[in-house]
Amino acid sequence: MGAPINTRNNNILEGWHRKVYEQAGKFYIQILHKTTHLLFQTRPFLFYGFSFAIIATSLMKIKLSIMKKIIFIFLSFFIALSTVNAQKGINFSRTYPGGGKLLMCVDSSAKNVFYANMFPNQPRTSFSYLPEVNNVSIQIYFRKDINIQHYRYTILADNKPIVVNKSINIAQLKDVDRGDEEIFRSTTLGIFPIKGKTITTLIYSIEKPLDIDKAVFYGKPIPRAKIKGFSKRFATDKGVDYNWITDPKERTNLTFTKKDEELTIVKDRSDIDYLYHTSIKDKQTNKIIFESTAWEYGGLIEEHEFLPYVKIDKNVFKKSGSYEIMIQPLIKWTGCMDCDISAKDIEKYITRHTLSITVDEENYTKKELFIYAFIVAFAIGLAFLVILYFTKKRNKKKLAEKEQQKNMAKLQLNSIRSQLNPHFLFNALSGIQNLMNKNEIDNANKYLSKFARLTRNVLDDKELISLSQEKTLLDDYLQMEQLRFGFKYEINHSENLGLDNIEIPSMLLQPFVENAVKHGISQKGTDGKIMITFIKHANDLVLTVADNGNGFDTEKTNNGLGLLLSNNRIALLNSIYKENRFTLAIQSTTKGTKISLTLTDWL
Amino acid sequence: MRAILIDDEISNLENLRTLLEKHCPQVTIMATAQNVSDAVDAIEKYLPHLVFLDIQMGKQTGFDVLKLLPTRSFEVIFATAYDQYGIQAVKSAALDYLLKPIDIEELINSVNKAEHKLATQIQTSQLDFLLQQLKKPETNVSKIALQMQSEIRYVTLSEIIRCEADNTYTHFFLSSNEKILVSKSLKEYADLLRPNGFLRTHQSHLVNPKYVKSWLKEDGGILLLMSGEKIPISKPNKDTVKQALQQL
Repeated sequence: MGAPINTRNNNILEGWHRKVYEQAGKFYIQILHKTTHLLFQTRPFLFYGFSFAIIATSLMKIKLSIMKKIIFIFLSFFIALSTVNAQKGINFSRTYPGGGKLLMCVDSSAKNVFYANMFPNQPRTSFSYLPEVNNVSIQIYFRKDINIQHYRYTILADNKPIVVNKSINIAQLKDVDRGDEEIFRSTTLGIFPIKGKTITTLIYSIEKPLDIDKAVFYGKPIPRAKIKGFSKRFATDKGVDYNWITDPKERTNLTFTKKDEELTIVKDRSDIDYLYHTSIKDKQTNKIIFESTAWEYGGLIEEHEFLPYVKIDKNVFKKSGSYEIMIQPLIKWTGCMDCDISAKDIEKYITRHTLSITVDEENYTKKELFIYAFIVAFAIGLAFLVILYFTKKRNKKKLAEKEQQKNMAKLQLNSIRSQLNPHFLFNALSGIQNLMNKNEIDNANKYLSKFARLTRNVLDDKELISLSQEKTLLDDYLQMEQLRFGFKYEINHSENLGLDNIEIPSMLLQPFVENAVKHGISQKGTDGKIMITFIKHANDLVLTVADNGNGFDTEKTNNGLGLLLSNNRIALLNSIYKENRFTLAIQSTTKGTKISLTLTDWL
Repeated sequence: MRAILIDDEISNLENLRTLLEKHCPQVTIMATAQNVSDAVDAIEKYLPHLVFLDIQMGKQTGFDVLKLLPTRSFEVIFATAYDQYGIQAVKSAALDYLLKPIDIEELINSVNKAEHKLATQIQTSQLDFLLQQLKKPETNVSKIALQMQSEIRYVTLSEIIRCEADNTYTHFFLSSNEKILVSKSLKEYADLLRPNGFLRTHQSHLVNPKYVKSWLKEDGGILLLMSGEKIPISKPNKDTVKQALQQL
């Protein structure tokens, strides 16, 4: 057992720090602060009351070369420890806080020292977990101003008292210089075998007998908590009742109904219940949804003692799924000076239990669900209907537009079709008048009826007429024109062409024929000749009009209204008969003009 | 009366000859011509009193015949089957024309009128006026010839305040406070003058918008002219008149 050095309580350490400021200057202390922060990120440094030298050695252990230098300078300021202390593993001459006014030393069998464990609601209880330790030496330290005669101590080994209410032996007290101004008075309470045992010290002043400092030195393995059972509290007509599940296995299935109120987890009884911390994790989100360090006692009794339990409101479990209960001792497994424990080893202390929870909100939920489903379905249906309506409307509009376009084209075509040159009409009538005046009554009759048939055909609103009708129309027209200009004409057709059955847009050729008369042969008199043919060419119908007139320049645009109208007409026909292309080819030389109108795939 | 018939279609010539011989014995047909050059030759050769002139002659027109003649000391009766081209000019020059097939009464009437003119030896420059009019865009007539009892008046459009129908006659009210009576219907003048902005406010009224002072709301709309005259506006014409006046 080394001398009780290098340890301070909180107040001492603060004073100590002040001294560092004074003696070493700002620079060092700033580095020190940084270093300690690095080392104890999660634990407040002051809480442990470590000696500066221990920090220094540990700093060396982590081999920060720069840090080393600085630390050595510090070492030279204080007596501290020799370089022997820088060895690896536990320094067995080191003292650890034992709780309250106690310090402890452990023997060389120790591998881990978990000291200075404090617990919620247990402000005067300190717990040191000392697995593998054979013996522990416990010292007590008093400040000079404390009335030591008033202190009593009790020591228990496994709950059996060894020493009861004993006073401090004043004669044995020694002055201990801690390297600062304050001198402590200290004595040893004893060296205790601890392997497989628990040593508990109770220290109090008779001036304040309620303020008992309890220090537990735990030399046994901390047992895993055991879940003894679950109970579900539910409402009844008369009040409440409970459903019990006892001695559960690794997994428990639970169903929460509307009537259920709360879940209770019952743990096995131990002397160190306060050590255990309960948490519940939602396995889906990996979030802790419940935590408790408090145990209640009551209800179940085992071996004449109430069992500890925690209560969890049903609403903690928001939805169905897997939850994990973890019960583990609140030991600071990491971050301490002489502990080195793997996660796997820590796991040995943790109790895990899976709850498979079904949140069944019964009728109400089902009803709500139904309403939800109905609303969603309704909304979707409505949206669908709206979309359908608009799509339909748009399609209808499109269709109407298309139809309108087509109608427009037809109307235009009609207006073009009925534009049988009025000049021709009146001149034809004039020709008939001449026949009458010449007393050629038969001829007058003949031409009058031809004229009537022609105008009737033209005025007829028929969209399609047969090729034979078209031939008749052209015959009538050409014969009327013959009356004015004495030319010759022929209308021929392929033999395999059924003139009566093939229909073409009415008045299709007439404008071209009129053009041939007007611009082709009207000046040639009886020498003029017009040839018209209807030809079957594979699936195409080819209609040609040829004359032996003087021709015209096809490049020039001012070749008469007739040709312009013809081109417009072809464009209109193409917009109406989309499947059949109408193409117009014009060849014109000084010896004559030939136009071919091809109706693609017409036959 | 020496006459020459000009038409490119032989049947029309035959027809006109037959009709004239039968109904107008005072007319002696000196020659017929089927194209412009033949026509010019015939006129220069026979110096006719009267020429029946077809307007549309293949690719040429009857006006071409007139253009080629240095002097035009004869009466012309135009003949046309259906021709937008030139007919407005013929009308604005108050020249006579026949439509084919020929109405026998109209033919007799026209021949008589021509005979009357020749007899009274009224010197007119109607043909010159016609040729001038033909040079201008058809819708932009700036002057029209008004056929009066014994003279032809050439009136610029800006002189005309308004026209008023009187059965088949038309009264012209001019800015010089002159009032001219013409033996043609208001409709004919409405057709002729509408393209030049004249407003047909009423069945019997044609108004030059230049002389409109204001639109009176009384009795559902009346036009007050600068001369102080009030011209009624019939219901069907209200909107078009209003629009036209707003555009001015």
